[in-house]
Amino acid sequence: MKMPLTFMLNNQQTTLEIDARQTLLEVLRNQGGMTSVHRSCEEGECGACTVLLNDEPVNACLVLAASVQGASVLTSEGLVKNGKPHPLMKAFTDELGIQCGFCTPGMLMNAYALINRAGDNLLTDQVIRKTLEGNLCRCTGYVNIIKSVHTAQKAKLAGEWW
Amino acid sequence: MKKREERLILGKGQYADDLEFFNMAHLVFVGSPHAHAKIVSIDIEKALALPGVITVITGKEVAAHTRPLPVQANFTSKGWTWRLADVYAIPADKVRWHGEPVAAVVAEDEETARRAADLVEVAYEVLPLAGDLRTALAPGAPKVYDDWEDNKQVHLVFDFGDPEKAFDMADQVLQVTNREGRVTGVPIEPRGCVGMYDTKNDTLEMWGSFQTPFLSRHNIAATLGVPEAKVKINAVDIGGAFGLKIHAWKENVVALASKLTGRPVKWMEPHRDFMATGPHQRDVFWDGKIAFKNDGTLLGLKATVFHDLGVESTNKGIAALSIFPACSSPTNMYKWVGMHVEGIGTVTNKSFYCAYRGYGKDKGIKFIEAAINQVAKKLHMTPEAIRMKNFIQPHEFPYHQINNYVLDSGDYPAVLNKAMEMADLAFFRKRKKALAGQGRYLGIGLVTAIEPAGVAVPNCQMGGITEARVLITPDGSVEVHSDRTEIGQGVEISHATIVADILGMDMAHIHVKRVTSDFIGQGPLSSRGAVYPASAVAKAAKLLRKKVVQCAGSLMKIPADQVVLEKGFLYPASAPEKKISYAQFADKMFFFPGPRGLDPEILKAHDHLLDVTTTWYSPTTPESGSSYTSFCVSADIAVVELDIDTGVTQIVKYVHVHDAGTIINAQVVDGQIQGGIVQGIGEALYEGLNYDENGQLMNTSFSNYLIPTSVEAPDIQIAHLETPSPFSETGSKGMGEAPIIGAKAVILDAIEDALSEFGIRVNDAPATPEKVRKWIRQASGQNE
Amino acid sequence: MPDNSAGNNAMENSVMKNFIGSRAMPDLVYHSPKEISDLLSMVDAHGTSARVVAGCTDFIPSVRTGRWCFDQELNLIDISKMPVLNQIEKTDDVLKIGASVSLTRILESPEIKEGCPVLAQAVAQMASLQVRNTATMGGNICMASPAADTVPPLLVSDAWVIIQDAQGEHKVLLTDFFKGPGRSVLTSGQVLTHICIPVKKANEAAWFQKIGTRTAVIISVVSAAVRVTISNGVCDTARIALGSVAPTPVRVAEAEQFLEGKPLDDQVIAECARMAAQAISPISDLRSSKEYRKDVARTLVKRSILACREALK
Repeated sequence: MKMPLTFMLNNQQTTLEIDARQTLLEVLRNQGGMTSVHRSCEEGECGACTVLLNDEPVNACLVLAASVQGASVLTSEGLVKNGKPHPLMKAFTDELGIQCGFCTPGMLMNAYALINRAGDNLLTDQVIRKTLEGNLCRCTGYVNIIKSVHTAQKAKLAGEWW
Repeated sequence: MKKREERLILGKGQYADDLEFFNMAHLVFVGSPHAHAKIVSIDIEKALALPGVITVITGKEVAAHTRPLPVQANFTSKGWTWRLADVYAIPADKVRWHGEPVAAVVAEDEETARRAADLVEVAYEVLPLAGDLRTALAPGAPKVYDDWEDNKQVHLVFDFGDPEKAFDMADQVLQVTNREGRVTGVPIEPRGCVGMYDTKNDTLEMWGSFQTPFLSRHNIAATLGVPEAKVKINAVDIGGAFGLKIHAWKENVVALASKLTGRPVKWMEPHRDFMATGPHQRDVFWDGKIAFKNDGTLLGLKATVFHDLGVESTNKGIAALSIFPACSSPTNMYKWVGMHVEGIGTVTNKSFYCAYRGYGKDKGIKFIEAAINQVAKKLHMTPEAIRMKNFIQPHEFPYHQINNYVLDSGDYPAVLNKAMEMADLAFFRKRKKALAGQGRYLGIGLVTAIEPAGVAVPNCQMGGITEARVLITPDGSVEVHSDRTEIGQGVEISHATIVADILGMDMAHIHVKRVTSDFIGQGPLSSRGAVYPASAVAKAAKLLRKKVVQCAGSLMKIPADQVVLEKGFLYPASAPEKKISYAQFADKMFFFPGPRGLDPEILKAHDHLLDVTTTWYSPTTPESGSSYTSFCVSADIAVVELDIDTGVTQIVKYVHVHDAGTIINAQVVDGQIQGGIVQGIGEALYEGLNYDENGQLMNTSFSNYLIPTSVEAPDIQIAHLETPSPFSETGSKGMGEAPIIGAKAVILDAIEDALSEFGIRVNDAPATPEKVRKWIRQASGQNE
Repeated sequence: MPDNSAGNNAMENSVMKNFIGSRAMPDLVYHSPKEISDLLSMVDAHGTSARVVAGCTDFIPSVRTGRWCFDQELNLIDISKMPVLNQIEKTDDVLKIGASVSLTRILESPEIKEGCPVLAQAVAQMASLQVRNTATMGGNICMASPAADTVPPLLVSDAWVIIQDAQGEHKVLLTDFFKGPGRSVLTSGQVLTHICIPVKKANEAAWFQKIGTRTAVIISVVSAAVRVTISNGVCDTARIALGSVAPTPVRVAEAEQFLEGKPLDDQVIAECARMAAQAISPISDLRSSKEYRKDVARTLVKRSILACREALK
């Protein structure tokens, strides 16, 4: 069933013509042009398609696009401001929390929500590890990813954040 | 300066799934639900009738339009058993493993192709199964390939040094067995590509997750019967590979689909397909006897290693060849008198073998490390003491090992000493004793390993060929080309660093180009990146530098050796103020090279063309026959705690010290180490591909093929030593596979140590909680 | 993971013909009712083509893997946006949780923390954050998986569910809800709308433990929940439930009865755990052998009772 879908995509009101059987992942990639939302398992196991739905991380492959009517969706493209990388992105580059780059956008979105939720509380390794458990990475062994999240939080606490 | 990482992090990656072409069609494979069955008939009518379906390709079309998959390694001349199978990308007669494609549906969109895939009706006659090693080797076993005598594909016999003498000298001989279950690399991104056959020019171009574009071009061209010169393969951003994206196989069908439909055709493999029909790391079983003296001197090994290779289909000869390094590598980093090692490879009704991070080198090292730790126990020696006694010493390099390896350099005792210091071995040994009385079980594992890296083997597609090109463009920017695809191992950072250092340029001006089949080479496999391609790049940059200083000297009217290259400028050593930028220099060379500026001799010799293409080949391989050029060394120490009532292993501490020669970029090296260690931990504790009695693969998703998450991955302490390799151009050694080898072995060793009270031998990976509990129950004579 | 899929079993076609890595989604008409009355009339009107979903975290994987095939257009009724099913209410005696409440909300709810902390303890060990953010309580129950981690805590808490249909509301004890793997008492036209749990009392403690091959994001090989109340040093009431050891999550009555009236000393606990393990006859499957399941069930029960004892000190 074809249907219109209106939602906030990366802070912009967006209306797309979708089919009811499409997942949010398909719509974001194919109609929304957000190719940072990576497709791998399509079963909610790998986290490569993690986006924020009303500020909370979800697997876009397990969300029906029709159900995000009126909601807000943020992908890693939405973190970029005037072509500049978000401080979180800079932290991942500086600490080399990125190797093949395939899990990275999903990892970024989960980490972004985590750092925002944490407020002024310094994140521990344990909390970061537990939060990112649904974002599989096969390259880094997670070590530099944890480091990147710490570095990013420091940037946020220093006022460099959006 | 991390251009690639900055691009990817902004969401500008272009992975296979992101490829879009005008008028593009989509291909979906239809797989067999049976592991071994005759294809009786295929009815594609219903699938074709679905609106949007363009065509359905079955084994018949594949046989009519393509040739059998080409042979990639052939050692028949050696007098060994070495059988090869005549198979196509899609079979027409019978299927040989669960998931093997029987048809490919091409449709206007992927969703339609997926729907039509369900409508293809295949009638099968199910055949008896050669589902595992034991069944496949039994007399009268069902045959995977009907025209073979039996399922034994390969049987290699090696004598290194003097094995008989070794056993004659021995005070003791110990039998050791070791089993490693079937695993796989599972990068998060599966395989995918777009094929575009240009019917006007009869050329084929493909883009996708090709780890080795040059080899893929050769194999795809051969399969399609198109001249290689009319095929171009482009690697796009690759979401991890670990050896699993080397072999072009389904890609042949994508190319054929484009040729038959005249349209660009895209195939993006679902991850479940990747697990079931993708490459697997074989299961192996070692049975050996190790000979030694009572003082701990190691003497020899007599061993047989059995390999369950799976089907032979897609990389003919490469699986068989992998038995070679498996048999050679038990020498590891010790002195030996002799070894007799036999390797038997058997085909079974399982998915095919690939070079997942280790290729076979890992197999021998893991076995010998376990064996040496058994010897240490027998002799009441510490694991470090027996190693120190048998290590090849720093002054003995280059060391001609009994298996022809020429070990390049290193300080093995220093690496182990550093690891012991960092791990605080003495403290943990005391703590183990203290906790033992409280019903807590601490275990300490220790292993050391070298990693043979930079492969060059004759009679196969991994012969060591490589090519690199470095050129300065008219605006002074630099292009770097090589065969080393970026699969997440930091190629761009490494190559840009090498070239920038040699040319005295800022990394910002160095552009490491994406790899295409235009550049000769076997790509990044067997940790050859830092050995072959990096050496070729460094060599090209050095030759280019020679041209630059020669031309600049001529321009500046000074001897070439007086020209300084620094931070993007060229100037006379005596007059830094007379500096010119690379842009000014290059502009002159390209567009105003006239004789009044440059020495005419330079022009006559064409030395003003700032473009160097060169190759590099191992200085040791031609004479010694050593398949590898560099040997990085590492020591792993792990402390685990075991919950003996549930069998759950927790990693308390992990230390890795290594020496991979000159480090080009420490962050990149650390990343390789950390990732490799966590993969090794996964193999040691959780990962296993299990087939049921019907040959169905039971682990086809991340929910049941369990790779470590951020929760299980430990903190890892790393230290680097740097003993340059005398044989590579930069002093660097390949190191991409070392961490996974040591990690798997050390975790299993630590578990065995934790269970020492029970006298359990941990020789069957993975050591899942269930298995650990089973061992404990058996050892303590408990029933349920 | 969880998915609220009331009934419609008749439409499932388990015949898997071809091996296909990822299957297409069926044709869908998407419905998003706001009120219970709309929901019930939709379920009624669409009959066998209706499927009730909330988080979709089980629905989509089931389609992708071919576990569920549909040969007609599906009327997908999404109850995740219904305010009335998204509430957690607590009175002095009962916690009432709407079927569409997400697992994350269970984890973060002060009412659950106070009224049924063992449920939050279980949810904390379920799936990933991404899945917990969309998966729902109702879904985890309606999927009727033997491995559903919310169920053992609910069983030991004497929970019941509210099912609604054209005839009205029905209260069903959770112990009576499950019929087998993927099967429950729900029939076509019925929707599970609420889960009700008696509020935890002062003299009681409950504990949940699970074991899987890996620590994180893992389907239970065995899960165990225990609840005990104590007065005058002896166990008054005992509830012990196990997951992944039978076609449905189960309570082990003999072991519970053994514990009641006894002091929680080490010997009693060990014997109770042995009886619990004795009472189950799990199967061997991809995730574990039956031997390990029995073996580790004993350990989990023992440790859970010990944890309860500790909490009651």
